[in-house]
Amino acid sequence: MDLFSNIALGLNTALSTTNLFYCFIGVFIGTIIGVIPGVGAISAISMLLPITFYLEPTTALIMLGGIWYGTTYGGSIAAILLNIPGTPANAVTCMDGHPMARQGRGGVALLTAALSSFAGGSIGILLLMLFGPVIATYALSFGSAEYFALMVMGLVAASTISDGSAIKGLAMVVLGILFGCVGADIYTGTPRFNFGTLELTDAISLVALAMGIFGVSEVIASVRNVHTSSIDPKSVTFRAMKPTRDEVKRSAGPVLRGSSIGAFFGALPGTGPSVAAFIAYAAEKRISRHPEKFGKGAVEGIAAPESANNSADQTAFIPTLSLGIPGSPTMALMLGALMIHGIAPGPSLVNEQPSLFWGLIMSFWIGNVMLVILNVPLISVWVRLLTIPYHLLYPAVLVFICIGTYSVHQSSFEVGLVVFFGFIGYMMRILDWPAAPLLLGFVLGPLMEEHFRRAMLLSRGDFMTFIDRPISATVMAITACLLIWGVVAALRERRKVKFRNAE
Amino acid sequence: MLSRDYRDIIGGAILLVFGLWVAWYAGQHYETGTFRRMGPGMFPMILGLILAGFGIAVAIPAFFRTGTKLEIRLWTPLFVLLGVASFALLVRPFGLFPAIVSVTVISSLAELRFRPVTLVLLSAALCLMVWLIFRVGLGLPMAMYRWPF
Repeated sequence: MDLFSNIALGLNTALSTTNLFYCFIGVFIGTIIGVIPGVGAISAISMLLPITFYLEPTTALIMLGGIWYGTTYGGSIAAILLNIPGTPANAVTCMDGHPMARQGRGGVALLTAALSSFAGGSIGILLLMLFGPVIATYALSFGSAEYFALMVMGLVAASTISDGSAIKGLAMVVLGILFGCVGADIYTGTPRFNFGTLELTDAISLVALAMGIFGVSEVIASVRNVHTSSIDPKSVTFRAMKPTRDEVKRSAGPVLRGSSIGAFFGALPGTGPSVAAFIAYAAEKRISRHPEKFGKGAVEGIAAPESANNSADQTAFIPTLSLGIPGSPTMALMLGALMIHGIAPGPSLVNEQPSLFWGLIMSFWIGNVMLVILNVPLISVWVRLLTIPYHLLYPAVLVFICIGTYSVHQSSFEVGLVVFFGFIGYMMRILDWPAAPLLLGFVLGPLMEEHFRRAMLLSRGDFMTFIDRPISATVMAITACLLIWGVVAALRERRKVKFRNAE
Repeated sequence: MLSRDYRDIIGGAILLVFGLWVAWYAGQHYETGTFRRMGPGMFPMILGLILAGFGIAVAIPAFFRTGTKLEIRLWTPLFVLLGVASFALLVRPFGLFPAIVSVTVISSLAELRFRPVTLVLLSAALCLMVWLIFRVGLGLPMAMYRWPF
């Protein structure tokens, strides 16, 4: 069987000492970042992106991937014990997790979260293994027109489906693509928008942009807003984790349903673990025979969203690895890491870099096992982390942001860019503009321009090329539907005043 | 409550101006070419115009609805950004340690409280951590301290 030889190849890669070590580092850091409210996966990954330049691309992705799904595990700890979601994907877990903790069953809640996460993650990985290569093989026949259409669809989906106004999301995508235009033009080499500086001739550094817009602005928004509450680390022990037989039985169904829901929404561009967790919770509540128990500490209310968000974490890699189209800013950073190593993302990746693709997937299994080990017996260590006050934490975050950016090219100009993008990021928070589409646009922008120009060159300047070709036409039609749906949703929501709390 | 949603009016206006400026700048400075053979200026010019369009689309409905007051904090972002900027200025001539201390001290002012003892300990701990991670662990060639004079 071809699949088995691929699995063997992947295991071979993932089980090398270096990769095991960095997988552990990834999930370890991911858990820390997830536990601590006020630092998200995007900032963590952009802080560690520079370090990965010194690693092999496979090792780099294994570590970054570990951070990504590790945060979702860690985030449930803060959600259950403090009623503060460590990451947005854990927000729903608060609803039943925290009541359980107050009833003295916090240990059981944490165990349920860890095991459901593991089950969800495993199902997600299986689907990734099955569908990733199939989609990649199919996509090998795509030309520039199809690619351009797919990227447009990915960006439109990401900006219209996510929360907030669709127009604002689309505007930020365009702004991101514009930031991506800075630097040498791909066809002629003309430096664009460099304003006479040498540093900007080489394009804006992805690290500086991500650190500024996500890292620095997150710190600005959290200072004096994130309060660490006092909990007794001794109250949560390994022993208190033993669930009753009834609780185990009640969790099985929600885990399976949650994982399926999560897998679906993870693979769609624009939706991700947060949406998946929310829908899984809502679905579980609807089909439950005791919906009144939800919100008061029902195990199902933890099992469903926690399996869904982890399943979504894994299936998010399907479009990213097999098409080269990221559905979320974190996935965009992963692609950025690949591109920095000179690997072009796209369907040929699966066939040309089999050890990277399969090694990464196998590392997900290993990382998920590590996470269960980290989260269950060592729980009291993480609980202690929750007691670190933010005023000690954020200067450290800023120091690592600075050094991380500086270390890429030993360039203080790029640290200056962090200041610039930090300011923009804060402005965007004040004016309520979403930051995620900007990063997606920035990463995909240069690829989009390349495919757009190539498609137009091949069609001799005829725009009909995007509609004449069947696959491209289908994708464009879906995009149009998304846009119409976005406009309709916007008209409906117009009267609603939205309050967006700084996360 | 404000009589108009100034948040989106301001935001939309910024996008409109920025988009038009980008389109103008790209058209002025770079070759636009034809749709068949696009020059370096074409793609940014189209995007600039689209961005300006979005700016209008965001701003116009905002005139006809009420909005909430903008909450702008001045000192917190200022100190955080100044801290990062001080790193950019100090790291080349003086090395990492002075730059780290500077980020820590300046950015901690963003809390609007001054804790001298904590700051000394925190700075020292961060310097040690950075030395261990980046020099000992990763072996990056970065000067820890330097005296330019």
